[in-house]
Amino acid sequence: MNALEQLRKVQSKLDPEQVIDALDRVLAAWREPESPWRARLAREHGVYSREVLERGTLEGLRGWTGQALRSLRARELREPCWAPPVTAVWLAGSIPTASFHALLLPLLAGSTVCVKPASHDALSAQLFLESVRALAPEIADAIIVGDNPEWLDTADAVVAHGSDETIAVIRARVPAQRIFVGHGHKLSLAVIGREVELDAAAQAAALDIALYDGRGCLSPAYLLVLDQPRGRATLFARALARALARLASELPRGHLTQSEQLALRELRARAALRAGVELEMSAQGTDWTVILEAAGSRPPPGLLRCVPVIPLADASELERWCGELAPHLSSLGHAGWSQPHAELTRAVAQGGGSRVCPLGRMQYPPLDWNHDGMSPLRSLLRLIGVEEA
Amino acid sequence: MTRRELDQRVLAWLAEGVDAVRDDARFEALALELFAYQHAHNAPYRRLCRAFGVDPERVKRWQEIPPVPTGAFKEARLATFPEENQVRSFRSSGTSSQNRGELHLDTLELYDASLLATFGAYICPDVKQIRFAVLAPSAMDAPDSSLSYMFDLACRSFGTPESRFYVTRMGWEPESVIADLQAAEEPIALLGTAFAFVHLLDALESRGLELALPHGTRVMETGGFKGRSRELTREELHGALGARLGVPASRIVNQYGMCELGSQFYEPTLRDAIPTRCKRVPPWVRTRVVDPERLHDVPPGESGVLVHYDLVNTGSVLAVQTSDEGRATPEGIEVLGRLATAEARGCSIAADALLAGA
Repeated sequence: MNALEQLRKVQSKLDPEQVIDALDRVLAAWREPESPWRARLAREHGVYSREVLERGTLEGLRGWTGQALRSLRARELREPCWAPPVTAVWLAGSIPTASFHALLLPLLAGSTVCVKPASHDALSAQLFLESVRALAPEIADAIIVGDNPEWLDTADAVVAHGSDETIAVIRARVPAQRIFVGHGHKLSLAVIGREVELDAAAQAAALDIALYDGRGCLSPAYLLVLDQPRGRATLFARALARALARLASELPRGHLTQSEQLALRELRARAALRAGVELEMSAQGTDWTVILEAAGSRPPPGLLRCVPVIPLADASELERWCGELAPHLSSLGHAGWSQPHAELTRAVAQGGGSRVCPLGRMQYPPLDWNHDGMSPLRSLLRLIGVEEA
Repeated sequence: MTRRELDQRVLAWLAEGVDAVRDDARFEALALELFAYQHAHNAPYRRLCRAFGVDPERVKRWQEIPPVPTGAFKEARLATFPEENQVRSFRSSGTSSQNRGELHLDTLELYDASLLATFGAYICPDVKQIRFAVLAPSAMDAPDSSLSYMFDLACRSFGTPESRFYVTRMGWEPESVIADLQAAEEPIALLGTAFAFVHLLDALESRGLELALPHGTRVMETGGFKGRSRELTREELHGALGARLGVPASRIVNQYGMCELGSQFYEPTLRDAIPTRCKRVPPWVRTRVVDPERLHDVPPGESGVLVHYDLVNTGSVLAVQTSDEGRATPEGIEVLGRLATAEARGCSIAADALLAGA
């Protein structure tokens, strides 16, 4: 019997309550203060520093409790539905909690999963499976981690993460009748309004930037600051520089390749050559960079703790900004934005995004977040309508 | 010191040729004066120096001059002279004007002098004139290509009247180049990009041809593959050139250059009659091998990123940081390859993808 046939057999015997209890036990172990799983992840991951992995994983999983799992399932599964026996999950990126999330949603929906780890993070999915084997062996057979492209042809549903090109290739391979969910690469924005103390906003923004070193699609790639009164954006940029300098030792950056170091050197140099730009940066190396741009500019997005700060003359500019990023916007982090939430929602929708959240929480989406605007469980199921006679 | 005075001093050094003494004190004095001039007359570069906290009055060693990454030449016009004085500009290869760097020139005097000194020394050390067969477009067909300009000037200076460019705006002419090579009775200098040679080799192979070009023939290949042909290692390329053209490795020279630099680097294979991977650094150029994180020199013999300081770049910036990996050797530099564009290790969309979609 091949691996997927085996998974189908396991799925026919899965009990949703048993799955929730098992996942609750596993996630609780990952959240423990001295969790050996988190410690091993921090030690062996390789892309991020231990401190970033410790903080990011602990905080990221904080709300992922048994109760949250149950609530999510109850909220999403309101009518009869068919859960695909096997869901293939193609991971991308290098953020462990994103991998955990992608892996556990199909299980919660009633499916089994075969997971292909991301090329830059072979560890997260494998370690999660190991923790399931150790702490919840009753569902361990419902998960396979490996690399077999044929799964795309034979799994009953496919969830793919990656660049738009990768998603297009995988989508083309999956038979049309199967359930397919694609999550392309995106980026996020942060906006700072007038109703917030600048140091506090800068510290929250610095945390969002430092966590996962600006590699994730939830990392703010631009910081837009309402420049009223004029000069506020400059003050924010300086406060952000101080906050990033502090975090450089508290949450050190992970290892960069030479190509990444060169990319940062080039971003800095290109910014320095532009008229009207101010740079704040680490004295040695490329640890962090704040680029205060001129109002109205449209620089390249930040990366790897190098981030542009752009003054907004007026709050109405936000919607245009988001629109220019369409369809690549993911999340909009905000602080001190006095305008109604409806405005932020409209702005994020303009950019193709689906999440509005407080600054400082950008890297911690809740368990039930609608990733790319899709229902976390319903998108993985076939819903069945039963009409009354 | 005026620009003309600086140019004259650099020209005097260029006139001494590649065998001029590698005088470090002379280089440092000129480099520091040139840096001060460029800082004073190039506003974008002055902004860059200010951002990095570099003041020319405090710079005491040429190594302290801040380099500009080649990618940053796309961002601003890096010239010490007004646009109306420009006589030529060379652009880096690329797919659109948005992502191509440019070198602006208000005189070709230094560029030509450097080019002829090095080309003559390393490609024509044994001949005054030779027939050129160029697998690249002429400068007329590709006016913004520094490589075509180089081949054009070399042809005019060292080429016989039969010399010819085999690539036009319409494409290249495999039949005519193969026919001319088959008919050749005198030595030829066959010049082109590595990918052009791959196309020639493929054309020869598809016709089942193996030529034996006349004794004294030489090949100069440069520029890598850039996705324009199948890729071969250096050994494979040189081996295939030997097999299909009859040119031994001892007569094949790899040249290294870039649009942002006025000077080029050659292997002294023909000049010293010894095949080598090590390229000579002209006396008026210095190259550092640095760790890209801190821009500190790496220990001797270790690999790092190449940063060139070229006195010929009087009209732009003399310090240019490349994306090329290499190492220093006692004789010069060995270029190990181009560091790839940063590959995304996260799920954030890459800048180029975002800008392409904008």
